[in-house]
Amino acid sequence: MIRATDLIKNANGARILRGVSFEVAPQTVLGIIGASGSGKTTLLRCLNGLERIDGGAIEFDSIRLEANLSAAEYSRRVKGLRKKVGTVFQHLYLFPHLTVLANIIEAPTHVLRVPKQQAESEAVALLDSVGLKEKARRYPETLSGGEQQRVAIARALAMHPALLMFDEPTSALDPKRSAGLRSLLRSTVSRGHTMVIVSHSIGFLEGLADQLLYMEGGEVVESGAAHQILNSPRDPRTKDFIEQAK
Amino acid sequence: MPSPVSKLLWIAACLLFSGNVSAQQPLRWGADPSGGAPYVYNDPNHPDQYIGYEKEMVDALAAAMGRKPEFAPSDWETLVSALQRKSFDVIVNGLEPTSDRQKQIQFSKPYYIFQLALTVRNGEQQIHSLADCKNRVVGTLGNTAASRLLQKENIPMRAYAEPLTAYRDLELKRIDAVIMDVPAEVFYVSKSTTLKRACEPFFRGTYNVGLRKGDDALKTEVDAAIDKIINDGSLEKILRKWGLWNDAQLELQKPAKAGEKNVDVGYDITSAAFNWREAIWRLTRAAFVTVLIAFGSMVIALVLGMPLAIGQWKGPRPVQWLCTIYVEFFRGTPVLVQLLFLYFGLPTIGLAMPAWLTALIGLGLNYAAYESQVYRAALEAIPRGQWEASYLLGMGPVLAFRRIILPQAFRIALPPMTNDFVSLFKDTSTAYAISVWELATAYRELANASGQFLLLGVAVSLYYLAMSLPMAHLARRLERKLQRREAIEAVEAEIN
Ligand SMILES: Nc1ncnc2c1ncn2[C@@H]1O[C@H](COP(=O)(O)OP(=O)(O)OP(=O)(O)O)[C@@H](O)[C@H]1O
Ligand SMILES: [Mg+2]
Repeated sequence: MIRATDLIKNANGARILRGVSFEVAPQTVLGIIGASGSGKTTLLRCLNGLERIDGGAIEFDSIRLEANLSAAEYSRRVKGLRKKVGTVFQHLYLFPHLTVLANIIEAPTHVLRVPKQQAESEAVALLDSVGLKEKARRYPETLSGGEQQRVAIARALAMHPALLMFDEPTSALDPKRSAGLRSLLRSTVSRGHTMVIVSHSIGFLEGLADQLLYMEGGEVVESGAAHQILNSPRDPRTKDFIEQAK
Repeated sequence: MPSPVSKLLWIAACLLFSGNVSAQQPLRWGADPSGGAPYVYNDPNHPDQYIGYEKEMVDALAAAMGRKPEFAPSDWETLVSALQRKSFDVIVNGLEPTSDRQKQIQFSKPYYIFQLALTVRNGEQQIHSLADCKNRVVGTLGNTAASRLLQKENIPMRAYAEPLTAYRDLELKRIDAVIMDVPAEVFYVSKSTTLKRACEPFFRGTYNVGLRKGDDALKTEVDAAIDKIINDGSLEKILRKWGLWNDAQLELQKPAKAGEKNVDVGYDITSAAFNWREAIWRLTRAAFVTVLIAFGSMVIALVLGMPLAIGQWKGPRPVQWLCTIYVEFFRGTPVLVQLLFLYFGLPTIGLAMPAWLTALIGLGLNYAAYESQVYRAALEAIPRGQWEASYLLGMGPVLAFRRIILPQAFRIALPPMTNDFVSLFKDTSTAYAISVWELATAYRELANASGQFLLLGVAVSLYYLAMSLPMAHLARRLERKLQRREAIEAVEAEIN
């Protein structure tokens, strides 16, 4: 479904991604782990087109991004890519001047031109599925961190993305709430979504991710089936990281 | 070391031999030298020196009184109040002894008989007398015999601070005629190739020296000195030198030469009787002009500020530079200078606008520079993540800007925008420089004509407050309305 081949990203003269390759199959979850500064966020920003890659390629269905495209062509393809990829950032970036409901229907009504009523009933259904139906008329700042995160997930889902990407979704959640989030994500996957989840928390990914990818210094050290990486990592660096994280 | 007693004796001796103590005090005289030709003005060849026929006359008067003249440059509109505040002791500035001024100060005997001259453009066919000006606009200096005559005759008037600007506007066809005392007219028009007299000079009035009430000894001294310089011909010599001598002046000589004492020459002096109803009506009109200028220029500022802000913020390099130059130019130079430039500078390239429109556009251009900075700061305050979240939801830059960034920036910009608007209201007073009849101009002229500085000041302040308070109130309501829904939700959140 999405395939990255030898991704290279430079910033300010430093090489942040040094040839990252992986592939995510439809309706599976890829978990990305790695120490702080290993390039996980940068990788996500390349995948959703916020950063332009300096080498390698990203393929998503029939869309292909590569470094040597012209700026206009690159951004044209990124536009197509974004129709299929939704992202929930660590800092959710909800729109503070809009209610929860308006946050969710903003893009469907103005980008996809869905009629407002239809968008609203879809949004209410989404809010119901994340347990926030009663808070549709609230403003984001009046919600708790966990509630805000579920609004951000609903906002991304409202655009019907095939792939959903998360950056550190558990950083602001207590253990009970991260368990709740995990079951929410699992039910989302069962409805046919594919996911890439960057997380520090191996406990969170355990049982959620099908595949795991361990990064260090902008490189993929090891990747494979989640249970294999967690139980019998081949590379000593992966082993170190997982032992420390546990 | 002298004993205290001898010291006292010495002082007493000094007093005795010096005769009249006041004779040694300088003659402190006040006049407005700016645009003051030919009365008293800065010598164009020696800008630190003053010249003028009245300057020479005061020198002669002071010599006759055995004093040294000491000039206190002042402002025409506030001459009378400055005299009362003892900033100087006499006014010598072509001052007419009008009855309302006589309520505040006293006058010496006249030293000059003046007439009024009506000036029109060379091509003018229709205006041959003041009566022909009924439906025209006539320029003159504020608070003079001429301005009062126009008011009495109900002729539309533009009041100027300087003769030069009045004649300039006449040449630019912003007004149809200028009426001015003959001395100023002779100085400015006699060499002009574009202006001419509409008719022979008419009306007669006198210039007298203004003194504080109660300074009777000084008045006697000044009267005697005036007699002296009229009788010994030194005044005539000065007037002839400046081309101001005419036979009318002989009337002043006659009684003086016949030795008759203190004959005040009574002429028909037009004096504006102060009328509160009239004053309030004129203030109201001025307030309307103020509102018009303030709102009009704010609209320009708000509209023009946005492209400036975006150009300076996200535009290509050359656009960024141009916007920065614009902003720094308008913020870095006084708005007064900008207005004068627009009003007097632009006509030289064929762009002459009426004064109120010049003020409206000038203030608008000026405040656009400030508003652009308010916008830019507000736009830059929105986190980059808001843009990125919009892009990731498939929005383009225009949609993201309009729907996501702008509404958030507007809230940030609203309080400083309101502040700017209130200060813009106050800055409309700079339109005085180009003779727009707005509130501050109205206050100066009405108060100077009546001496009612306090009451009129209160009235004008009330007008300003009546205009700016609703603005501030409106802005606060808007701000609250924007936050109300959120506040309600916040309260609900507390309850839940
Ligand atoms: N715009 C940039 N310019 C220069 N260096 C950058 C830039 N963005 C990221 N980096 C560097 O790239 C490296 C990877 O950053 P990135 O944010 O992708 O790490 P991360 O794995 O997400 O870390 P964390 O777990 O702390 O979120 C870091 O060393 C960071 O300092
Ligand atoms: Mg990160």
